Amino acid sequence: MNKLLLLMLLLLPVTVQAAPSADEIVAKANRAAYYAGKDGRADVSMTITAPNGQTRDRQFTMLRLTDQGEDQKFYVYFQAPADVRKMAFLVWKNVGKEDDRWLWLPALNLKKRIAPGDKRTSFVGSDFFYEDVSGRGVAEDNHHLVEETDSAYLLRSEPKDAGSVEFAWYQVWIDKQTFLPLKAIYYDRQGQAYRQIEALKVAVIDGHPTVVEARASDLRAGTSTLNSFSNVKYDTGLSAQIFTERFLRRPPREVQ
Amino acid sequence: MKLLLTNFSIRFPRLILLLALVITALFASQFPKVSFDNDPENMLAADEPVRLFHHEVKERFALHDFVIAGVVNEQHPDGVFNVATLGRLHKLSQQLYSLQRSDAGLPQVVSGDQLSDPLLTLDLTPGSAWRRGLNVAFSQDPNRLFDENGQSAINAQEIISPSLVDSLQQAELGALRLEYLMETAPETAEDARKIRDLALNNPLYNGTLVAEDGKAIALYLPLRDKTYSYNVATLVAALTADWPAEDQVHITGLPVAEDTFGVEMLVQMATSAPLAMLAIFILLMLFFRRFSIVVAPLLVAMGSVICTMGLLIGLGFDVHIMSSMIAIFLMPIAVADAVHILSEFHDSYPKYQDRVETLRHVIGHLFLPMLYTSLTTIAGFGSLAFTPIPPVAIFGLHIAFGVALAWLLSMTLIPAYIMLFIPQRSLDKIAEATGQQHGTALTRGLEKLGLFSFKRWKLILATSLALLVIAAVGISKIAVNDNPVKWFAESHQIRVADKILNKHFGGTYTAYLTLAAEPAELSSRALLDAAVEQLRLQMRTAGTTEAGMRFLQQINRLSGSAPAETTLSELRRFAAELDNDNAQSWPQLAEELAYLDPTALTLAELQHKLQQAGFSTAMIEQLLQQLPADLQGNPLLDKALSIADRLAAFNFGQLIDSIEAEAAAPAFKNPALLNWLRDFQLSLAKNPVVGKSSSLVDALQKASYELQFQAVAAAEENQLNFSIPTTAAGIGQVFTQLEGMKKKDSLFHLVTRDYQQANVWVQLTSGDNQDMETVVAAVADYIAANPPPLPVTVEWAGLTYLNVVWQEKMVSGMLASLISSFVVVLVMMIVLFRSIWFGVLAMIPLTFTISLIYGMIGWAGKDYDMPVAVLSALTLGLSVDFAIHFLQRARELSQKHGSWLAASTEMFKEPALAISRNAIVISVGFTPLLLAPLVPYNTVGFFLATIMAVSWLATLFILSALLTPLAKRLLETNLPKTEGGPK
Repeated sequence: MNKLLLLMLLLLPVTVQAAPSADEIVAKANRAAYYAGKDGRADVSMTITAPNGQTRDRQFTMLRLTDQGEDQKFYVYFQAPADVRKMAFLVWKNVGKEDDRWLWLPALNLKKRIAPGDKRTSFVGSDFFYEDVSGRGVAEDNHHLVEETDSAYLLRSEPKDAGSVEFAWYQVWIDKQTFLPLKAIYYDRQGQAYRQIEALKVAVIDGHPTVVEARASDLRAGTSTLNSFSNVKYDTGLSAQIFTERFLRRPPREVQ
Repeated sequence: MKLLLTNFSIRFPRLILLLALVITALFASQFPKVSFDNDPENMLAADEPVRLFHHEVKERFALHDFVIAGVVNEQHPDGVFNVATLGRLHKLSQQLYSLQRSDAGLPQVVSGDQLSDPLLTLDLTPGSAWRRGLNVAFSQDPNRLFDENGQSAINAQEIISPSLVDSLQQAELGALRLEYLMETAPETAEDARKIRDLALNNPLYNGTLVAEDGKAIALYLPLRDKTYSYNVATLVAALTADWPAEDQVHITGLPVAEDTFGVEMLVQMATSAPLAMLAIFILLMLFFRRFSIVVAPLLVAMGSVICTMGLLIGLGFDVHIMSSMIAIFLMPIAVADAVHILSEFHDSYPKYQDRVETLRHVIGHLFLPMLYTSLTTIAGFGSLAFTPIPPVAIFGLHIAFGVALAWLLSMTLIPAYIMLFIPQRSLDKIAEATGQQHGTALTRGLEKLGLFSFKRWKLILATSLALLVIAAVGISKIAVNDNPVKWFAESHQIRVADKILNKHFGGTYTAYLTLAAEPAELSSRALLDAAVEQLRLQMRTAGTTEAGMRFLQQINRLSGSAPAETTLSELRRFAAELDNDNAQSWPQLAEELAYLDPTALTLAELQHKLQQAGFSTAMIEQLLQQLPADLQGNPLLDKALSIADRLAAFNFGQLIDSIEAEAAAPAFKNPALLNWLRDFQLSLAKNPVVGKSSSLVDALQKASYELQFQAVAAAEENQLNFSIPTTAAGIGQVFTQLEGMKKKDSLFHLVTRDYQQANVWVQLTSGDNQDMETVVAAVADYIAANPPPLPVTVEWAGLTYLNVVWQEKMVSGMLASLISSFVVVLVMMIVLFRSIWFGVLAMIPLTFTISLIYGMIGWAGKDYDMPVAVLSALTLGLSVDFAIHFLQRARELSQKHGSWLAASTEMFKEPALAISRNAIVISVGFTPLLLAPLVPYNTVGFFLATIMAVSWLATLFILSALLTPLAKRLLETNLPKTEGGPK
């Protein structure tokens, strides 16, 4: 009798906690991956590896500020290589609407607005997409919980508008503890995996579990991109003013 | 000795027959293993440097061989840029993109123009039973569009079509839009025309993807392997089968031409060779009128062809364009010996009235000439083994084998056949018919001819000499040239497509010019020199400053031999010190301004904030003087910032940054080299064969233009930006945008990722080797006259160029092989006749024939291509045969009759008859080749006939004409010697 009670007590928290819906998991994952802290900054070292093993390196500093609601602003400032030093991107992510994007090319003294377009295109020639940097709207796909292991949820997501994206579905493993997406594999309409994103290293910074090394691979082209994040800081009190066109030409102190 | 084989065959004819059958069956059993290779690239050995380089270039720039599907609309006023045609094109493009394998292994494509549309399963198996049969026989599967992993034959990511190429274009609010040229099918005529304008304004697409006249669009379908090209072409044809007539679809590209040739070659193998056999059969029937007799040479021909092909297949060689012609080359040679024997047998039988005796007589005096004719033919074709072109070498060796076998079969199978299968009745009829035989037109004609050449020998020799001179002029006119597309008859759809598409586009023939720079180490010396130069420049324009002088002093203290990294960090440290000393500098002020909250900012507030930050009154005053008092908020801040920016224009850190960016820039971000490349392309464009060339400069200039485009600016002003940015940093920043296009990494078809090597895609409107050669020469000349500003290695690759290389090898190889086999045959002739004079005489008809044939080719303006080159070996082999027979018999008959005069009358009876029969059989037997839709087969057919005719005439006329004056020295003085003593 005692044993039964004990068993019931042990099971109780499980039954209470278990089975968050797929949408809940995705929402939590989205918060964990893109909304840690009010603002954040990181130095990113990006290595793009070609099919023949040749590599290209880029270094940039990224600032992020969560604005109103889910809307966010990103500032990307290039440090290296020498020819792109001081090049900058500004992105205003408007959830449910098109993003606003600007580009600054210092050598041409040129500020250009980039029209909203396909967010699933290469971010500065890497295997990451713009959407990987700023996050894909959770409402754009239908999510299903496929499997729950000891450590992760496995979800399968299918686009609501199949014509708007290049994938037929993707699978994503989300860590049960941190809710960080650990791995995502994208499948084409022939059912072939063609793209993969992995979180290789996670560290807790300022109390936020943070992916500090991530890799995106284009399985068809044989290219991959490794991003290493350093000097990650949260809640540094970034001013919204920085995320304006004015600061494209004149990089803010926060990135110098 | 001579009769060893024959006697054996006469004694054991059944055994011989059985042996021949078993051996033939053994070789035939190899047939199912057959594999085909129709890739002209294999004309070069697999380890040929230029071929390895070609593949390395393809790898380095991720280049593919293309099937080009051109769509032309000449009827609609907007050409192909109308809603309906673009809609069809968009759907086709999406369908090709979506190509996948069904569970049953059949191709599937989307049924509509959306990638998410339901799939449609296709079956490309041809409707005609004959075609299906051929496919089965040659194990061709038209549905083979996938590799073993089920991947599509088309590399979908790399398709070049309006629906799948990037387009940079201006959007609302001065924004730049990055999307595919035709994201969706247009709905209005205006949208359709907009797509046209966008495409025509992009130098990468104008002339490549779209025709300048707007009448045509070309889709470039990149293949995972060239061997898919015929099937991909079939797929495109199937998908466009229901298109209306005004949208003409043309499919071309070198791979398609080559692959289609391969497929048609199989058809020719299956039709031309049997037809030739049939024609020979009919002719032999006309001569001998006995079916049972006529079958024998055909058996020899079939036996040797089957065994030779069996050997080729059994040894694991692919059937290549060359080896597919083995049957056609071998048949006349194989038939020749048998016809000689039968002809003699036919004519001698009445004398002996006994088949064994007749056979012994015939073989007895034919043995040596036949052995030698076979040996010379073997030498002629065997010499091809020394050409540097593997398929030609294999072809030559196999023909040599086939000739040897044909000789053996003639020596054994023919006697055995005569013993077993010729009914006595037929032989009796031959005996009866002999009387009439002498009365045929052919024999009468020959006798007259003999008399003529005996009497008018001077005229004949003079005419021959004159012809030789004319031929020599013709030979000097020979143009070495080949183009796989021209292997098809003019009316063939590939030729038609080639013509039409090359009229509309920059050219469907591709060559790649690669420019490789040496990776340069960043040197301290270069950095320091650049720093000094930049500083001096700065001070010359903005005045000498104390800080500037200090910096110069610091620079002079640094060592030019230190590691560049160290020097750079030292320079940066100095610059930072100087900039910081200047704490009250304009850059700092500008930064301070930037952080001000513009909301309700007033002039007074601005002044106050700057004072608070500790900037000097002088500086603040200088700024305020230039600010209108009524400005407020954002406009005020913007104005203040622009003034501060102008005043802050110089700082040392920035100077070092730009020096580093320029010094560390890889070769193909160097403005000087890129400007050189642009000028080079401009000069290339002047070459009439070059339709267009594309390089990273075209992409760069276009992107630079679109990025800097301002709607408010005048067109000329915007046009100024259609240029190469002046600094490496500017270039690098534009390239970074191009690296992140929607079609990822498409820039890297034109430049390597490290920007050290570039690839210029040269489109030629002609695939003729000659034309490619002129381009190669023009490029070499240009580069010699205008050396690039940085050391750059220039090399060619691409299929069109590869063809040039093997063509060059073929010409030199064939010439060497011809000369060497000529010498070998000459030596053989001297040995055979035991006389230098006779040896030389024997070479005359073939020399005359080869000269005349190639003279004709020169005069007719026919290109010296692969089949023409190989014909020299055939001529050598066949022409000398007639001479051997003729001279051998001339000698024998002179001995018998005591004088050439008497002998020559005899010569123009049986011996001339045998030679003439052979000549006629072979030349007429190959007329079916003239009907083939493939030019190389026509060429072979035509020249076989011509070779036969000319060497027949040369032998009968020239040899006998020469013998007339020489007879005293050669034939009649020899007489006593050969008879063993003085008369």
